[in-house]
Amino acid sequence: MDKSIKIRTKNIFFSYQNNRVLNDISVEFREHTLTAIVGPSGIGKSTFLMTLNRLWESIPGAAMKGNVEIRFDGTFQDIYLPSYSLTSLRRSVGMVFQTPNPLPMSIYRNVAFPLKLAGFKKKDYIDHKVEKALTRAYLWDEVKDRLRDDAFTLSGGQQQRLCIARTLIMEPQILLLDEPTSSLDTESGRIIEELLISLKERCTLLVVSHYREQVKRIADTVLEISDGHFTPGNAI
Amino acid sequence: MSRSLEITITGCSWLCGIVLLGAVSTVIGYLLFKGFGTLGPQLLFGSVNPLEALLFKKQVFDGLFPAVVGTLLLVILSVGIAIPIGMTSGVYMAEYANGSVKKIFSLLFDILASIPSIVIGLFGFALAVFLHRHFSEKIYPSLLISSLALAFLVLPYIIRTTQIALETLPRETRLTALALGATKLQNIIYVLIPKSLSGIISGVILAIGRCAEDTAVIMLTGVVASAGVPKSLLANYEALPFYIYYISSQYMNEEELSSGYGAAIVLLGICAVLFLFAFMIQKGLAYRALYRA
Amino acid sequence: MLGKITERLFFICATISATITVLIFGFMVFLGLPLIKGGQFFHLLTQPWLPDHNLYGIYPMVMGTVFIASLGVVLAFPLSIGCASLISVIDGGIFSRILRRVVQMMTGIPTVIYGFVGLFLLVPFVRELFMGGSGMCVLSASIMLAILVAPTMILFFVDSFESVPKSYMQAVDSLGGSKVQKLIYIVIPGSWSGIMTGLVLSLGRAFGDTLIALMIAGNAVQAPSSLLDSARTLTAHIALVIASDYESLEFKSIFACGIVLYVFTTLLVVLVRSFGYASRRNNE
Repeated sequence: MDKSIKIRTKNIFFSYQNNRVLNDISVEFREHTLTAIVGPSGIGKSTFLMTLNRLWESIPGAAMKGNVEIRFDGTFQDIYLPSYSLTSLRRSVGMVFQTPNPLPMSIYRNVAFPLKLAGFKKKDYIDHKVEKALTRAYLWDEVKDRLRDDAFTLSGGQQQRLCIARTLIMEPQILLLDEPTSSLDTESGRIIEELLISLKERCTLLVVSHYREQVKRIADTVLEISDGHFTPGNAI
Repeated sequence: MSRSLEITITGCSWLCGIVLLGAVSTVIGYLLFKGFGTLGPQLLFGSVNPLEALLFKKQVFDGLFPAVVGTLLLVILSVGIAIPIGMTSGVYMAEYANGSVKKIFSLLFDILASIPSIVIGLFGFALAVFLHRHFSEKIYPSLLISSLALAFLVLPYIIRTTQIALETLPRETRLTALALGATKLQNIIYVLIPKSLSGIISGVILAIGRCAEDTAVIMLTGVVASAGVPKSLLANYEALPFYIYYISSQYMNEEELSSGYGAAIVLLGICAVLFLFAFMIQKGLAYRALYRA
Repeated sequence: MLGKITERLFFICATISATITVLIFGFMVFLGLPLIKGGQFFHLLTQPWLPDHNLYGIYPMVMGTVFIASLGVVLAFPLSIGCASLISVIDGGIFSRILRRVVQMMTGIPTVIYGFVGLFLLVPFVRELFMGGSGMCVLSASIMLAILVAPTMILFFVDSFESVPKSYMQAVDSLGGSKVQKLIYIVIPGSWSGIMTGLVLSLGRAFGDTLIALMIAGNAVQAPSSLLDSARTLTAHIALVIASDYESLEFKSIFACGIVLYVFTTLLVVLVRSFGYASRRNNE
């Protein structure tokens, strides 16, 4: 039960186009846990996830103040230091979006894409990593015979698992998921829920969700956000 | 991708941007540098009193005034011809045309839009000859013929922008008046055209710019180097762009060459003003001014 | 009732507009008829221009147009890709905003201005640089032509770069890809039809331009064999010959030029339509 702290956020203030979205957020996340972030519709929840991989910096009109530290290799590192590499941050902190966003390439190439970005070239190595990632994402059996097919020929649920595999291939320590099942049917959603629970072994997961039942099924801790403030919510 | 390759690519992009900015600054800067000194009433009116020239009391022979008037008349006439035909064609394409008729017309308008301006000028010249032979001996390449030819030149712009402006209206807008019982025609006149006005006006401004700056068409259909202010539609006339061309190869002395630079600046000025108008319309200012909503 | 009448009216206007396109071609063929009869047209295209020998082949002008226009587009293309990449992907800040505005303004600059500045600034420069010749040559004309067509090309490329679905950009960002990687792996491959369309449209523009070639390329009636040769384009030829005797064969050659230009630009239009860029945009 006493797992060490993986992510530490202090006094985060976030505003978008001069509207305050997050107010003085200071929370901690323990490793190998799955925390659900719930609350009424609005941009607070997704925004909070983006403070952890600095993706909000690509959005014009967004501004943030505060501190985020993540423990890598035993020491806490301030991810907002100017010298901190965005590339390595995003390899260690993966993100999965509400609507699956495969790239216009084959299934194989989609999953292998992060390796290509990182400069890996050896085919055997890439084949092996692709298979491993797809297996971990509960997708390998369904696609192993059609890796060269266009990614868009997969169903919605399969595309989402593809995106998860693509994120997993760099073996991130943290996974951020923004309503990962809300664009999928119940059956596909269930598969992904099981997948997420299995991933706790390797990662720390933060999942934004507004399905109460789902939260009950998968979360170890619940954080509720309202009015830009976080409160520990009613979990299980 | 290696770091050095990334840096090279980034560097090349920046280089392209700088080269382009450099090129345009050189062009405009050179003109301003050489021609700035000539700006003033003398450039336009020569040795004639500006007021007398403006009231057409006296002819200007050594100034740009006739050329400016010529260009102005060209623009008014050709856009005046092109707007009614172009807008109605555009409305037809957007609201009434269907199937193979629409496809054929669409192809023909695309072709018309791509025809080189000199070919349109050639057509204008041929038209003048044809009319001269079969209609009236008095018809020569002239202001009338040039305006017609320029109208043909800019017709596709107006058709296209009208058509696109109408076609990209949101579905609700198209259906609201109809749901209240309006006829198709009433819908077009009272709702669709007013709502797409800014797009249509952009097309008109584009056409105006094109008419003001074109040289090839007018070269073949009646522009001359020295004709004063045209006295009738069937007379020869002067125009700014042609003046610039003419001076570039026929200048006799430094003074004439300088007036060429001055003319170039005036022409650029006109284009800049038009661009500003188009920009303002994009930002919706003109729309609000027209409707005082 | 009124509805029907106005619909008729609209149709008539559209038909008038469409007919003009056909009429233009018709007039050209009709007036160039003496030269076209008896299969002579194809001889026209391949013969040199030697009035003394009664040869009015427009081959030198065809070559002049091909050389100057192609070189102009070849020069403009990398410049435009670079600028478009800068504006849409690599830089998002003030410089690219300024560059975009400047490019938009540049589309309004008349070609006669480029011709004028080219004549008095570039031509002497080329003359000095290559120590000989008059400076009025293929090279000078192509350079000014490149500056003429680049802005439209750039805006076209920027438009297609920015139509690449945002979800792809989001994916690459979240995976830690850099801007250059985004450009090379996703944006450019995803904009092929737009790039091709922009390229072909600019080629059409370059082919059809008159003033730059007329003022800067020298107008010698010979097929150019080097960058520093003087040359004449089909368009300049029309402008130059229009002043000569109306009944002569020399005069009729300009209608042959007109036909060549018309047919060529029509082919380009058909080619561009086959890329399907516009229809794909409308379906999105």
